[in-house]
Amino acid sequence: MSTREIFDSRIESGLLLLPTLLVSIVFLYYPTALAVRTSFFDSSFGQADEFVGLKNYLTLLTDSGYHSSLLLSVLFAAVVVIGVIAVSLYLTFLIHEVDTGQGLYLISVIWPYALPPAVGALVFLFIAHPTLGVLTGPIEALGVDVDWFNNGPQAFVVVALAAIWKQIGYNVIFMIAAMNNIPDTLTETAALDGVSGVRRLVSVYVPIMTPTLFFLVIINTIYAFFGTFAFVDLLTSGGPSNATNILIFDLYREGFSFFNFGVASTKSVVLFLVVGVLMLVQFRVTDKYSYYGG
Amino acid sequence: MVQLLQYAKRQANALRSDQTTETTHDARPGTHLQLWFLVLLVVFPIVVAVIVSTKETGVVTSLGDLLPGSYAVENYREALVDYRFGRFMWNSLAMSLVIVVGKLIVSVFAAMAIVYYRIPYKDLVFLFILFTLLLPVPVRFIPLFQLMNDLGWSNTILAITVPYIASATTVFILRQHFLSIPTSIVETAKIDGVGPLRFMLFVLLPMSKGVLVGVSIIMFVYAWNQYLWPLIVIDSEANQVAQVGLQLLQGDVQGGQLSWSLVMAGSTLTLLPPLLLMIVFRKPLLETFSIQQK
Repeated sequence: MSTREIFDSRIESGLLLLPTLLVSIVFLYYPTALAVRTSFFDSSFGQADEFVGLKNYLTLLTDSGYHSSLLLSVLFAAVVVIGVIAVSLYLTFLIHEVDTGQGLYLISVIWPYALPPAVGALVFLFIAHPTLGVLTGPIEALGVDVDWFNNGPQAFVVVALAAIWKQIGYNVIFMIAAMNNIPDTLTETAALDGVSGVRRLVSVYVPIMTPTLFFLVIINTIYAFFGTFAFVDLLTSGGPSNATNILIFDLYREGFSFFNFGVASTKSVVLFLVVGVLMLVQFRVTDKYSYYGG
Repeated sequence: MVQLLQYAKRQANALRSDQTTETTHDARPGTHLQLWFLVLLVVFPIVVAVIVSTKETGVVTSLGDLLPGSYAVENYREALVDYRFGRFMWNSLAMSLVIVVGKLIVSVFAAMAIVYYRIPYKDLVFLFILFTLLLPVPVRFIPLFQLMNDLGWSNTILAITVPYIASATTVFILRQHFLSIPTSIVETAKIDGVGPLRFMLFVLLPMSKGVLVGVSIIMFVYAWNQYLWPLIVIDSEANQVAQVGLQLLQGDVQGGQLSWSLVMAGSTLTLLPPLLLMIVFRKPLLETFSIQQK
């Protein structure tokens, strides 16, 4: 690496780094520090901040509404992550298996990468609408009463399905790259041993793809916690009866409907810890598995 | 964290020696059938949206109603003009272009300093930039909102662009790519006495065309699809972006003042720019993703 270091002017390197560092400090580090600070204050519009120590944290510790929101987010993330990985993995496997039309199949399943969550939410709102939806008739014919504006578990399923749909594209992009890297000899050996179809996917491909899959589990978890705000906001607004009130939506309401900046900042700090732990786990584990190559 | 750096180096080496293998084996006919079915599921919601956007009203209660109507021109005109999607899309485009160009310039600078300059505490500087991955908008939007008020930026394009300009992801991808440029080329440049500016313009950038296009698409899709932050910080309709414009439509249609065909026209419009860019530039996009995976 040192052979690449062909310049050594401190002033030049400082100037080159300045914009990134400046924006990082002013708009990323400083607000985060402020959030940490505000989490120890009672803060709202039109009043002076009042230091309250750990009161906001104790409030969250005893707030059963927040606890259910936390549990709900974990459950939501689990459903989204498992759903996305399962669907994407199978899709990738099928695309990997065919010889003709691979390119076309690929683009027709990875396009949701570009899908704006707000668009995905509105389209789902329309096709699954309890009275107008195209899918409502066929689903009700199966004996399910579609009523997710009032039925919590159904609302959860609708939001989760929309969130899964949007994330398929991103996952297939990474999975197809990993699967194409698996040596042909392995596939041939598996075929000779009579391992075919889905069994080859599960017992030969998946173990080799572990590093990629693990990377995707973490990315998808972060997505489920943070990237699904638009789905909740446009489909259910957290309802009915908080059935879809995941942490990010709860935080938004605390800040911009109730204007409790102190408690909201405390909730931001909790979310920061969530991302931090997830990222840390990712770094540790991908490092451990890295000898599989990539 | 140092492990991460070592790991990133190893991965860069692995990428360079990477050989994609072609798979050739006979697919069972059922594979295509399954693929067709799954592709249909992934594409179905958007096909419905596009079809409905051409109809007079948005009433589609059965699959049989899914035939294109003749109101396309009228609906799109109404969405663009009467419901101001022309304006919203323009704002979204301005925001996305400023973010893409800004991030590109600033990140090329930073990555160049990190790879080609002798800097004290280089790993720490790089970590300082990477650590911002832990600080997504949800963690800091409350203090950021207050900061925007203090700066007088609320409701302006500055608020929805400047905080995004520093990009750990982009710096990371560019750094990985720069590390894969053969040292012989770098050394030749040094022997020829090429200055930093000429090195960047005539060596680095020409050798990075694919990656620059790839990260531009990633950043454009990311910027265009932002929802939460513009929702918070932009409150005049004239400055609003398309994603939040959709939220305004959602309010009207739920209130019964608007037909679903118009909402689907707005959704289709909002989907088109990122989708088209992704389809056109899918090759550099996919190649860039293979660098991003750590």
